[in-house]
Amino acid sequence: MDFFSAMHSGLVSAGWPLWLANLVPPLVKALILLLFILLNCTFLIWMERKVAGHMQRRMGPMRLGPHGIIQTIADVVKLIAKEDVIPAGVDRWVFVLAPIVAFAPAFAVFMVIPFGPNLIAQDLNIALIFIAALTSFVVISFLMAGWSSNNKWSLLGAMRASAQLISYEVPLVISVASVALLAGSLSLQDIVRAQSQSFWYILVQPIGFLVFLTASLAELNRSPFDMSEAEQELVAGYNTEYSGMRWAIFYLTEYANLITFAAMASTLFFGGWSGPGLPPFVWFMIKVYFFIFLVMWIRWTLPRVRIDQLMDIGWKGLLPLSLVNLAFTGIYVLLR
Amino acid sequence: MTVTDWVFLAIALVTLFSAYRVVTTHKIMHAALWLGLTFVGVAGIFLLLGADFLAAAQVLVYVGAITTIIIFGIMLSSVEDLRGESFDNVWKRLSSRLTSSRRGIWPLLAAVGLAAAMVIVVSRGQWPASPHAPALDTPRLLGEALFTRFVIPFEAASIVLLVALIGAIALALKEERTE
Repeated sequence: MDFFSAMHSGLVSAGWPLWLANLVPPLVKALILLLFILLNCTFLIWMERKVAGHMQRRMGPMRLGPHGIIQTIADVVKLIAKEDVIPAGVDRWVFVLAPIVAFAPAFAVFMVIPFGPNLIAQDLNIALIFIAALTSFVVISFLMAGWSSNNKWSLLGAMRASAQLISYEVPLVISVASVALLAGSLSLQDIVRAQSQSFWYILVQPIGFLVFLTASLAELNRSPFDMSEAEQELVAGYNTEYSGMRWAIFYLTEYANLITFAAMASTLFFGGWSGPGLPPFVWFMIKVYFFIFLVMWIRWTLPRVRIDQLMDIGWKGLLPLSLVNLAFTGIYVLLR
Repeated sequence: MTVTDWVFLAIALVTLFSAYRVVTTHKIMHAALWLGLTFVGVAGIFLLLGADFLAAAQVLVYVGAITTIIIFGIMLSSVEDLRGESFDNVWKRLSSRLTSSRRGIWPLLAAVGLAAAMVIVVSRGQWPASPHAPALDTPRLLGEALFTRFVIPFEAASIVLLVALIGAIALALKEERTE
């Protein structure tokens, strides 16, 4: 980005040592991304409650601000003001570290997401593998939270969540691989450019997109695949013992992952920031919010599946489907 | 010292310390988590050497898969299996370990073999390794190398993995039948 190279050269000419000047632009980028996540998550939590309300013919939060828009901010203030409770009998260090292990990778993923033609923190040529690698930390953080809580509900929730995540990571990565095959690159920016020069990949990858969508719902631990926090059976799953800010960080991670999923879906299958008329960033956000709404819609419409059905869908349905799709994509790329 | 040296020093210290904690910590779950940190540190060293693809693969496979499987294994094992026989006397414990084949000799032989292999690899290398010019398109280069020059080892590795997969299914099925 021009702005950041100007900032860098400005700092160097102001007499800063080179290593310090090298450090500043990435930090500023990280800060902007963090703000983006925090603002969007605050809005999304309100949106989720409104969507849920209207789907059930209720109004949702209405009291604070017009249509309850400030409700989340009040909730955040409440969570920050809450007493920081670490229950007796938990494994202290692991308990404290688990939310951090959950959030840090979810945050780092935003580094490679293209918000516009030049609006990307770092265009990595291994972006897709980078995302897959970072999202694999989620399992560890769930297991850390569930095991350290010293509580059977937490442990059961963590075991379920990790079994689910491991099962659905395979079809997810394979469906993403077919898109990479079409674009001939693992960089998200290249994938968007390839689509803006030809067509959106949803046209040739409808099966890939369905697999991606279903597997992502499972990866996000969202209904109909929210086995890990099935509140009727498990209290709240792996984060039963968490409260206050630590619990809020888990919640934040969940919504950050939701944004990542929506950004990936629009980037991989729906042309990312490309589109006629409007500025690229606006196009990107329209697509992202469409997918976020889709996920919320599904959540408040479909009932939860059973754990055995969940495993069946993953291993007997999605995995063969994604492999067949990959094989056909390979043939298509060869003949193209 | 350049900035890269300092970063290397920090990552190396984290890696070594967590590797040390893997073998000294008393809780086996903590050992698994420290092992995960060790893998992350190794990925950091790969990154410093300009091998970004390898670093991502390291995190994906070792942190995402292997550490998780180890934690699963710990959670599904019975407590007696994890503790083993407890002796207060170190020498008694050592001798009991060395005479039992499951807990003593075979793991020891495997460890000695691995150590010998690593000593050979290290002594054959040229140190300090000169950093290669960072390749711009590592996935493409890696893919081309894997499917041309190294195609036979690559396919052999996939056959080994397939055999392991079938073996795991066979083991799981056998257990189900006996229940």
